[in-house]
Amino acid sequence: MFKSKISRRRLLGSAVAAGGATAFFGPWKHNRVYAASTDKPIRIGLTADASGQYANSGASDRRGMIMAIDEANAKGGVLGRKVEYFHIDTETTPATGSRVAERMITREDCGFLVGALSSGVANAIGQVAQKYGVLYMNSNSSSPTESGENCHRVKFVWDGNGANFAKAAIKNAIDSFGSKFMLLTNDYVWGHDTAAATRKLLTEYGGTVVDEILVPQGTRDFSAALLTIQQANPDVVAAAVGGDDQKAMRQQVAQLGMGSKPAWINNQQDWPDVYGLPVDNLFGVFGTTWYYRLDLPGVAEFVQRYQAAFPETAMRVPGNVFYNGYMCTRELLAAVERAGTTNNIAVIKALEGHVMPAKDRMQHFDAMIDPVTHQVQQTIYLATANTAPAEKDDLFSILTQSTPEAVKDTAAPGACKLESYEATPTFDA
Amino acid sequence: MLALLPHIVNGLTLGLLFALIALGFMLIVGVMEVINLAHGSLFTLGAYLALSTIGADWFAGTGFGSWWLGLPVAARYVVALALGPLLAGAAGLLLELCLRPTYGKAPLYGLLLTFGAALVIEEVIRLVWGTGEQHLPIPAGIDGAFLLGGLIFSTYKFFAAGFSIVAILGVWLFLERTPYGAIIKAGAHDSEMVRALGYDLSKLRLLVFGFGAALAGLAGVIMAPIWGLRPHLGIDVVIPAFLIIVIGGVGSFWGAVIAAILVGLAVGVTGAYAPAWSLLSMYVLLVLVLGFRSRGLLGRKSALEN
Repeated sequence: MFKSKISRRRLLGSAVAAGGATAFFGPWKHNRVYAASTDKPIRIGLTADASGQYANSGASDRRGMIMAIDEANAKGGVLGRKVEYFHIDTETTPATGSRVAERMITREDCGFLVGALSSGVANAIGQVAQKYGVLYMNSNSSSPTESGENCHRVKFVWDGNGANFAKAAIKNAIDSFGSKFMLLTNDYVWGHDTAAATRKLLTEYGGTVVDEILVPQGTRDFSAALLTIQQANPDVVAAAVGGDDQKAMRQQVAQLGMGSKPAWINNQQDWPDVYGLPVDNLFGVFGTTWYYRLDLPGVAEFVQRYQAAFPETAMRVPGNVFYNGYMCTRELLAAVERAGTTNNIAVIKALEGHVMPAKDRMQHFDAMIDPVTHQVQQTIYLATANTAPAEKDDLFSILTQSTPEAVKDTAAPGACKLESYEATPTFDA
Repeated sequence: MLALLPHIVNGLTLGLLFALIALGFMLIVGVMEVINLAHGSLFTLGAYLALSTIGADWFAGTGFGSWWLGLPVAARYVVALALGPLLAGAAGLLLELCLRPTYGKAPLYGLLLTFGAALVIEEVIRLVWGTGEQHLPIPAGIDGAFLLGGLIFSTYKFFAAGFSIVAILGVWLFLERTPYGAIIKAGAHDSEMVRALGYDLSKLRLLVFGFGAALAGLAGVIMAPIWGLRPHLGIDVVIPAFLIIVIGGVGSFWGAVIAAILVGLAVGVTGAYAPAWSLLSMYVLLVLVLGFRSRGLLGRKSALEN
């Protein structure tokens, strides 16, 4: 007869040890529940670029998130828990974005991710976040695909997108300058999506595209493109060129004196991209979601808070990138408070369809988080260079403000297929 | 053909600017056989130093600063055009001193050290001048645009191309017509013989590295009004410079100049007819040239091949 050499006492001891180990190290979801049952801080991963094409804007984005977190902590934290942040450079590179997101979730115990400038990076982070069910606030990337075919249940998009800005600008441009358009497009996802949105609107409003120039990312010399534009002689150039490419382009267009003829429309002009440039570099009409001199309650006080929080920053006033970084983080923390829990599904539900009053967001019209696309529907401003600035930093002159309904990206709801709640991993952060 | 002509002119000017960018890189690789990955950062440093010279941001509050800022931009620009490269050259001298322990070892050591130096210089720029975009002012006389064949061209770009021709000829005359140039060339060809003839090889290397760094700085001052000025500008410089010396043939002065013009033409003309391929065109050119001649257009055997 087989006689075991393991005693009953030893067997019981082993079982208890194995059970304890499983509870502690076991399936990931269990670990997260254990973590949440303590009063440990809520950890937010800041996925902001600190190098590459969007390094400068990434710094601004990050400052916005940090100010929102600091303000929440000054009020006693969220659900009584301190909020901590952890930053890793996403390098304006999608592969790095994936790696950073993976590390933040699995090794740094971040329950939420915030930050993006490049749509390629945002898409990469969004995919990782969805795999783990971690809420991700895409603060500043503005490709229509982010709230279209690349949307996710865990991802919320806070910037206006190319379609919103194009809608605000194109009808106005056709009426004012003519219908013959030329597209100058950065050859990557945001540029292509924005150009596609522009083409669609031109068809709708009776405009024509005479040519499209695809500009590779990293282009520093635009002279060939500018010669081609002169040869084609369009009424309007619709430029979807971002980051450092755009800075070089602006400088070269200004040198040629081509800023006023043909007319230029740029979908969005991020504040960090133009801060410190001469006013003649700010030609054309461009979109933005916010400006530091909007004549609205709370704006001046917000600027003061920024200056107090970042006294050493060369950028002396906040811009749209900072604003989006701040707003998405503040609203994320507010949603956790409203939900009364850090459970991801509960927080997602607290964000979906949430209406943010205009006065809270320091914009002209109420904003709403679209429950179908997860994009914030908000006021879109058209601006141009301010030739009579009230102070050194007063670079923009706001021309119009459009309601969220007027500039809504109508293609996004059809393209966006959010994962179901059941298909999204659930956990408490 | 008439439609192509402006793009050829544009490609030629672009090529001359590329030649200016590659000049210092070529000199250091050719003579010292060190691939200086800090070339782009020295380029950027030169431009930032010129910016501070013109804008006087660090001494504006002094009496001298007030007098200086009272001078016309043209005068300050000329001084900046000299001072920026000189100080970048001084940074190059320091870098060469750091490089000395790597001599005689595998090229990877020098490569890694200059890569580290590039990161350090970029971070120093970030700390001193901030992360934002800056604008290098230029004199009104070379700013603006002019009409040629019904098309608008940038005056400054043509000035920069003309300046590149002068710089290229100046460096060539220095290498070909002065005793220092002869020693530098001899050092590149047979450094042991130069040492045996009683020349101090350490000083020679110091001089060459400083000169190459100053040329990088000079290119930075010239290019900043076209490309803009930001701390990571150097990234845009190293790759074209490296491609140009490989296409031209490592160590060949005129090879690099011809390669730069070919690269400029390739980028300029592709930019007109297949703009999405404009940046790729320089790599296609590299493949074509190396496919037919592995040492580049005018290259000879280099120690880097060992």
